[in-house]
Amino acid sequence: MPTDAPSVLAKGVAQAAPIRPTQPRRRRSPALRKAFPYLLVAPAVAYLLVITLYPGLFAIYQSLFVVKFLTWTWAGADNYTTILQDREFWAALGNTAIIGGISLCLQTAIALTLAYFAYRDPLIRGWRIVYLMPMLFMPSAVAFIWKLAFNDGRVISDLLGRLGLIEGNVDWLGSIWLSRMTLIVADVWQWTPFLFIIFVAALQGQDQEIEEAARLDGASWPKIFWNISLPMMRPVIVVAVTLRGIDITTMFTNVFVMTQGTPGGATETMSYFIYRQGFRMFNFGYASAASVLMLILTIIIAQTVVKRAFHSGKS
Amino acid sequence: MASIHLQNIVKRYGGFVGVQNMSLEIADEEFLVLLGPSGCGKTTTMRMIAGLEVPTDGKIMIGGEVMNDVDARDRDVAMVFQGYALYPNMSIYENIRFPLRMRGVPASEHDARIRQAAEMVELGAYLDRKPAALSGGQRQRAALARAVVRQPQVFLMDEPLSNLDAKLRQSMRVQIKHMQRQLKVTTVYVTHDQIEAMTLADRIVIMNKGAIQQVGTPDEIYSDPANTFVAGFIGSPPMNLIEGTAQGGRFNAPGVSAPCPSNVQGKVTLGIRPEDCRIGGDNVQGLVYGVEPTGDTTYLTVLAGTKKIEVKAARDYRSDIDVSIGITFDPARLYFFGQDGERIRGVA
Repeated sequence: MPTDAPSVLAKGVAQAAPIRPTQPRRRRSPALRKAFPYLLVAPAVAYLLVITLYPGLFAIYQSLFVVKFLTWTWAGADNYTTILQDREFWAALGNTAIIGGISLCLQTAIALTLAYFAYRDPLIRGWRIVYLMPMLFMPSAVAFIWKLAFNDGRVISDLLGRLGLIEGNVDWLGSIWLSRMTLIVADVWQWTPFLFIIFVAALQGQDQEIEEAARLDGASWPKIFWNISLPMMRPVIVVAVTLRGIDITTMFTNVFVMTQGTPGGATETMSYFIYRQGFRMFNFGYASAASVLMLILTIIIAQTVVKRAFHSGKS
Repeated sequence: MASIHLQNIVKRYGGFVGVQNMSLEIADEEFLVLLGPSGCGKTTTMRMIAGLEVPTDGKIMIGGEVMNDVDARDRDVAMVFQGYALYPNMSIYENIRFPLRMRGVPASEHDARIRQAAEMVELGAYLDRKPAALSGGQRQRAALARAVVRQPQVFLMDEPLSNLDAKLRQSMRVQIKHMQRQLKVTTVYVTHDQIEAMTLADRIVIMNKGAIQQVGTPDEIYSDPANTFVAGFIGSPPMNLIEGTAQGGRFNAPGVSAPCPSNVQGKVTLGIRPEDCRIGGDNVQGLVYGVEPTGDTTYLTVLAGTKKIEVKAARDYRSDIDVSIGITFDPARLYFFGQDGERIRGVA
């Protein structure tokens, strides 16, 4: 009988003593097992309570009073009724919608266009950080740079002058639309990269086979983008634009540094209005009421947009 | 409808050679299967025909026209992908319609052609659904419908059945073959599944490491393999390949002894298919290593020396392990391969 390596090995394994664990098996008490998920989220919940929920509830409470430093006088809904008749409030709301809306549309359009041309470029992966640069700067520093470029340093006027497009200096703060434009330019410059990077990631995450199938079906690149890539990106676009939109409604830094709401309140956004009411005129209750209204409005709009987008995305 | 010519096609990725110097003629209306293990260059070859990859060297001709510089969307080929590649945002109807829209087919013809294509793959009832609401088999049928609807010159199928379960695969196989015969469109089909290759193909091209190993009909590939790679790749279980020495008309290996033609000399490999072995006799002296009943047949593994030899036995054959056993080879079905793996043809 020829002996052979494999079956000898098999017999050897079969004859060896089986290995059994010697330590007692570890057990977890049912109570701990039940509490475990809550323990895991506890730090985050505690953080949220302190940072978000408490100030939020405090603002709602304060909005029911007329507050002059330490003297709180019960006002009920008076703050709210006054605000709803305040022309400045409505103007600030309008300005926020105009500046934010134009800025958001521009950012989305530019980011989508750039993403469409760039996502197939392998360099994008390595160079992402470069595209992110504007986002990484401190917002107030960026605001000061733009303030220098537009107003104090007159860099932009000089550049346009040298190109022969204008003569002399432009008074950017002298016109409603020019001053709004400076805010829009600053915001677009700083935040387009955020949308760009998300859109590139969404496009790169799409199944390449689908693109190839469309190619063989006879579609050109623009048609593939319009008919297939863009509809597939829809949920991502909605989320990114909603995030950006929420952020834009609270636009403050650029307004504070660059325009201070001039000319004639044409660039006063909601945040700046609230700041002015609270910290310049010390109407804390009034400012709180305005911020509560703003919060409610933002939640309603964001909810509607996201719900709609995701609902019609399925079927 | 068109023939395809590949002339000395080379595909290199940096230093790595994906496809080396491949030449192939695919006749009009032929069903050709590219078969090989993963990474053998079969999908790359197909993608070069489609225009999704550019060959480093060589010429690709479809219908007599050089296609190297023609864009993928102008080659008039349709492809079915492994992952279906349906457009998730469109209904099945819109999916099938997409190539018609993109190619400027008059809108008045769309509906009739879409319904005809959907009927062909028995998907007529699902036209208003989104791909996500269909099963794997239905999705693959929708992908097929999208490929046939525009009546292309060439079909390319890249492992279209590998995401489906075994039962569905069998029924889809028949459907694909029926459709190809019906439409008479030149088809190139890539797979690593030899059953698919054997059942579907007019001719099979077996590839390994970027090179063609053998081209032939399924019968030729099975009963006349050109080298040990083809012999070991085709068949389930595959051909037994036993290394040994041949001298004076006799082949010897540990536990194995068989007659061989006189022109077979020195270190060679003997090949014998499991179904060409009989229990009893003395070509192999060994021990039973394992018995696997599958219902309609029983596979027996015999250990001869250190080599395991597969034998197809009668359906009711049973045995304990480590029992000594003898095996006879069908002398007319012995294959001999040289040290380079190439077949030594008998001159006797």
